[in-house]
Amino acid sequence: MEETIRPFEFRQCISILKATGRMAKNLREFRQGIAEVNEESVYHHTCQYFMKEHAREYTNDFAHWAGESLEERALSEHLSNVDPYDFESISDLRNEFVRVIDSYLVFFPEPREVLPGDEFYFNQTITFVFPTGVRAQNLAEFLMAIKHVDVASIYYHFYEARTRLGSGIDDFSAWLENVFGKNDLAGRIRSIDPFMHTIEGIREHLIEYVEAEVRRDMEVMT
Amino acid sequence: MIGRYSGVVPHGDLLFLQKLAERLRDRTFLHINSTRAGGGVAEILQRMIPIMKELGIGARWDTIEGDDLFFDMTKKVHNALQGNKEHITKEMWDHHYDINRMNAKRLDLDADAVLIHDPQPAPLVEFRKSATWMWRCHIDVSDPVPEVWSNLKGYCAKYDAAIFSVAKFARAMGTDEFIIPPSIDPLSEKNRDVKEEEINETLQKYHIPPDRALLLQVSRFDRFKDPLGVISAYRMVKKYNDCILVLAGSPATDDPEGEVVLKEVRDHAADDPDIHILLLPPFSDKDINALQRAATVVLQKSLREGFGLTVSEAMWKGKPVIGGATGGIPLQIVHGVTGFLVHSVEGCAFRIRQFLNNPDMSARMGERGREFVRNNFLITRQTRDYLSVWYSLENKGKSVLTL
Repeated sequence: MEETIRPFEFRQCISILKATGRMAKNLREFRQGIAEVNEESVYHHTCQYFMKEHAREYTNDFAHWAGESLEERALSEHLSNVDPYDFESISDLRNEFVRVIDSYLVFFPEPREVLPGDEFYFNQTITFVFPTGVRAQNLAEFLMAIKHVDVASIYYHFYEARTRLGSGIDDFSAWLENVFGKNDLAGRIRSIDPFMHTIEGIREHLIEYVEAEVRRDMEVMT
Repeated sequence: MIGRYSGVVPHGDLLFLQKLAERLRDRTFLHINSTRAGGGVAEILQRMIPIMKELGIGARWDTIEGDDLFFDMTKKVHNALQGNKEHITKEMWDHHYDINRMNAKRLDLDADAVLIHDPQPAPLVEFRKSATWMWRCHIDVSDPVPEVWSNLKGYCAKYDAAIFSVAKFARAMGTDEFIIPPSIDPLSEKNRDVKEEEINETLQKYHIPPDRALLLQVSRFDRFKDPLGVISAYRMVKKYNDCILVLAGSPATDDPEGEVVLKEVRDHAADDPDIHILLLPPFSDKDINALQRAATVVLQKSLREGFGLTVSEAMWKGKPVIGGATGGIPLQIVHGVTGFLVHSVEGCAFRIRQFLNNPDMSARMGERGREFVRNNFLITRQTRDYLSVWYSLENKGKSVLTL
């Protein structure tokens, strides 16, 4: 009897933005806000940063605001270097941001206030997850799907999965490794720097790696 | 109708709308505002209600009726919420309530979800039956006159949720507050694809040469839109770059302030034959569409702005845009990615020069702008967001919902 292959079911997510009612106009209020807002808000401003289009200068909303509105460039570099996928919980991630800001405040204790209108607003999201109706049972189908699914689907499987699965692992590499034993391909996908690309850029890398693998498989078969 | 959006809006948005509609099918969704015609709210409702109906949701749209006193008062409230000094007496607030009480008797408020738009019908919440009630604020309330906001807040806090266009407009009210930006309809007369002949027809009608770089700002003649600053920027650009400037707005028949600004603009333009000041009559959507498509660079150099959807309109047409860093404009222009944000006349002139001298960069940013609008500022996204808020309020306490 043929072994059943577990297909890859493409899903995607859509979020609506909700205000927490909290804002900050200087670094001390900002630090306090990060320390006290709910975990959904910390998650939104860090892990969900890649849902939004933005310049490739920063890796989370906190660093973005510190750089662009507070104009504390060194602080924004420190904040950008925090990798949210290094932490086991949002609480640990929050503590790291607070630690970075506290260290900065020791040397620069009186940062200025931002201009009116440039305040930081702490938000959170409600996320809806739904199936796209696209599934792949082999590498060729997977390649076709990757080329055509919405960016929100790539986001869900490449970024959102990292917190869902833990250990910074994405759904794509997990499926390729677990179902087909494609450890090298999975490794290449895991080596894509998640902070240095747009989602379309991630899609291009995925296509390049999977296409090369499909070509290799075909050559072996002939 | 919804099929017409296929291939235009993100596929996932249509899919999600269908999934949500499966759960909300045959349930009723009532929208109430104060006018059927004129203004962005009526414009978007005219097109959104049929979409919801087609999804199988019992969507209805009603308007409240009032006398001159009522609408004078609500105009004052509108101005005060935007920060202008206005004094609203207790008698005026009482009249506001009374008119809403009368409307509550006249209107059928029985629906599974009710979305009340803006301050005019806000007191209707006092007459709510069961169901989910949401208040949608389309106004910039980031710096309101405190006593006016305080009076209105008494009503707003009784809703299950409030919805604002921009995060900084949200006010602490003790109720759930969502952020839903407005949107444009890609199939409307103002945004649909047009033929080359239609563009040329408009250019001929307004005596605009088709073969020169065209800078365009479409907006009311209002100081907050900084038309004088736009002319000054154009003059700085002109030193090394040939171009013409088109300022297109509506005639200011009912706005004495508008007449004054228009005169200032004409004086500032002096007799420069390359500055075209166009007074477009109502229902000029097709001409606006054509002008935006004919433009080389589109400006929205506002000093203060509600949301500034003209930015999304231009981006949807793949145009490089330059906007003042105010209101909802920074949500639409990701600086250096989908356009440029500016803080001064000089900055505006510099960015125009960059665009005129780098056609490849202009095309690249224009294309990214169009995709950004596709993913964030089209009517299907706003429709899905309204339905999502309703659905999430019925599933309160969950931050992730699986459909």
